Amino acid sequence: MIRLEGLTKKFGEREAVRSLSLEIARGEVFGLLGPNGAGKTTTILMVIGTLVPTSGDVHIDGKSLGDDPSLRRRVGVAPQALALYEDLTARENLAFFGGLYGLRGRELNAAVDGALEMVGLRDRAGDRAKTFSGGMQRRLNLAAALVHGPDVLLLDEPTAGVDPQSRNSIIELVRSLKGRGTTIVYTTHYMEEAQKLCDRVGVMDRGSMLAMGTIDELLRDHGGDSVVVYHDAEGERKVVTRDPAAEVARLIERGVRSGLRIDRPDLESVFLNLTGRALRDGGAE
Amino acid sequence: MNAVIRIAMKDLRLLVRDKADAFFTFVFPLLIALFFGYVFGGGGGEKSAMPVAVVNEDGGASSKWFVEQLSKAGGIEAKPAETREAGERLVRRGEAAACVIVPQGFEDSTKKVFSGGGMRLEAIVDPKRSAEAGLLEGRLNELGFRLLSRAFTDSSMMNSFLDSARQDVAKSAGLSPLQKGVFGTFFDSVSSLTKEVTSRSTVGDTNDGETRGGESKEGAAGGSAGDTGGGFRPVTVTMHELQMNPHSPNNSFAVSFPQGVVWGLMGCVMAFGVSLVQERRRGTLLRLCVAPITKDQILLGKAAACFASCVIVQVILLVVARLMGVKIGHPAIMAAAVLASSVGFTGVMMLLAGLSKSEGAAQGFGRALLLVLALIGGGSIPLFFMPKLMQQISSVSPFKWATIAIENGLWRADGWDAMLLPGGVLLSIGVIGFWVGRSAMVRSRHSYDYL
Ligand SMILES: Nc1ncnc2c1ncn2[C@@H]1O[C@H](COP(=O)(O)OP(=O)(O)O)[C@@H](O)[C@H]1O
Ligand SMILES: [Mg+2]
Repeated sequence: MIRLEGLTKKFGEREAVRSLSLEIARGEVFGLLGPNGAGKTTTILMVIGTLVPTSGDVHIDGKSLGDDPSLRRRVGVAPQALALYEDLTARENLAFFGGLYGLRGRELNAAVDGALEMVGLRDRAGDRAKTFSGGMQRRLNLAAALVHGPDVLLLDEPTAGVDPQSRNSIIELVRSLKGRGTTIVYTTHYMEEAQKLCDRVGVMDRGSMLAMGTIDELLRDHGGDSVVVYHDAEGERKVVTRDPAAEVARLIERGVRSGLRIDRPDLESVFLNLTGRALRDGGAE
Repeated sequence: MNAVIRIAMKDLRLLVRDKADAFFTFVFPLLIALFFGYVFGGGGGEKSAMPVAVVNEDGGASSKWFVEQLSKAGGIEAKPAETREAGERLVRRGEAAACVIVPQGFEDSTKKVFSGGGMRLEAIVDPKRSAEAGLLEGRLNELGFRLLSRAFTDSSMMNSFLDSARQDVAKSAGLSPLQKGVFGTFFDSVSSLTKEVTSRSTVGDTNDGETRGGESKEGAAGGSAGDTGGGFRPVTVTMHELQMNPHSPNNSFAVSFPQGVVWGLMGCVMAFGVSLVQERRRGTLLRLCVAPITKDQILLGKAAACFASCVIVQVILLVVARLMGVKIGHPAIMAAAVLASSVGFTGVMMLLAGLSKSEGAAQGFGRALLLVLALIGGGSIPLFFMPKLMQQISSVSPFKWATIAIENGLWRADGWDAMLLPGGVLLSIGVIGFWVGRSAMVRSRHSYDYL
């Protein structure tokens, strides 16, 4: 449904995105995971047609978003930079954006109510956006992407600068949208989110896609060894292994019971193995 | 079109909600207009002295006294001139706001205040500076009353007045002996009263100046000394306008409200220019761009909001100006002027937004530049008070053309011809500004701006 072919963006000498190719299926949740400066936002901006690629192409259903207004009706975007009017209320913000998609009157009201409900801001609908916490503004930003009922969603760091409670409610919301068959591109530098939400994840760093696949595939190919932990008379013991299931079976056979657990690799270790750096330590800058 | 209106309405709503923006757009210009109107109107306490050429064609004691007092009078900087022509030249060159002439026979006329005629003065005024001329007339009358009150407290002077009056009465053929007797008794009692009075004049007259055809206006205008006494006209100032020009502002608010318009337009440009830069910098413009509308609809929406608020602020100013007694001489021209200046300054707004790379640039550099343009364009000193050179320099300021257009609607124009230049300049600024600003914004999509 969404196709990127050799997508490249240069800002002067710096290559923000280097020859990115991928295809996202209908109904899929695709995660772009990478530290700050990886090129995630640049990629999103090229997908929505507001940034002209230096080379390469983007197509949604075979068409380019920049050229086709009717296609734009089916797409919702929550930019990383908050797209809110701070002096308008939550309801007014959503009604304004909904109106731009041709929604009117009752239909518009219902859409606005629905979006407010989804992000849990109904009781704050009449308050100005500038009075909201960071987490509430993020949620409203998300609601503005949803209000016209798109079937493709591009969410650029929808949990940036958000408290844990708002983060959970955003993750739940994305899950429920996924349940309705919405195609979602989700960028983040939090591997837990990618791991929880995404069908497939692309790991980006310094403009390049380092690896792409399902979580299991990534863990298998790039996660490295698991660690099996157990207790014996001398205390905690760790065994590093490629095949944790076989190792556990062997330990049980030997009569080990106490404190037995498997520490599997996660996307953090995938990133570490791919780049030699920890994801959290940040980006290229 | 619908999207354009939606965007415009959204922006107007934001403008009203932002207290600072709303203040500088709608309230501040009004305060400026009222403040300057009050100051020009003479209510403003200390002012810098108005240069006035003074020619004394008489030579008597009273005329000397009068000229002396004129030099000492606050707010007037007297510039002695030898002849009427020399004084007129000072006015022409803009070195004096007016030329006061104490004509031959002034001395005599002071003695005839009680027997008709009264004191006669002449003044040559620059019609473009009639606000100042009005002030001057007030001062002359004030001095006239002081001269009179001096007579009441100076018995020798009063006696010479009365002698002159007695002679006139005695010579008069139209008076019966009885009437002559009544006057004699009256003169005697005035004479003895003068001896008793020590201070404070009780004579006054507040007749407004009236126009008597021809090229001169005669006014026995009111002074501020003493109470009103009916029918008594001691000072007559004959005004000669330097060139015939029937068009001059009818009161000081007619001068100050175009200034208010300058600040109102400035407020609109800043509010919408900065908000457009903000939208480019933050996520909202990106969000607008992914909606199913064109970039031109987005920019037109912004422009429409700016245009509407330019119109609104001018209408508000004009309504208040009407309440302050300003006459709108040419309503149709005024409507055209309001529309033209709104178009022009919408273009200025687009230019500001297109050329500012950041909010800081718009707020800092943009505001500073606009401020200078507003100041030289009539925002502080009215255009026609400016020296010639300054008037020429100010042509680079779009504010000047808006000021002229608005003044045309109030009092300046003799007809639509007068609108051709300012109207053309403003419309061109509007079209060019929109186009240049638009291309700057659309071009910048190659970098990180979202349009
Ligand atoms: N307009 C621009 N001009 C120059 N460099 C840019 C511009 N936009 C982004 N970049 C650079 O491109 C790289 C990728 O940025 P971005 O896509 O925002 O990363 P991410 O969203 O993954 O944090 C960064 O090094 C950033 O500095
Ligand atoms: Mg980003």
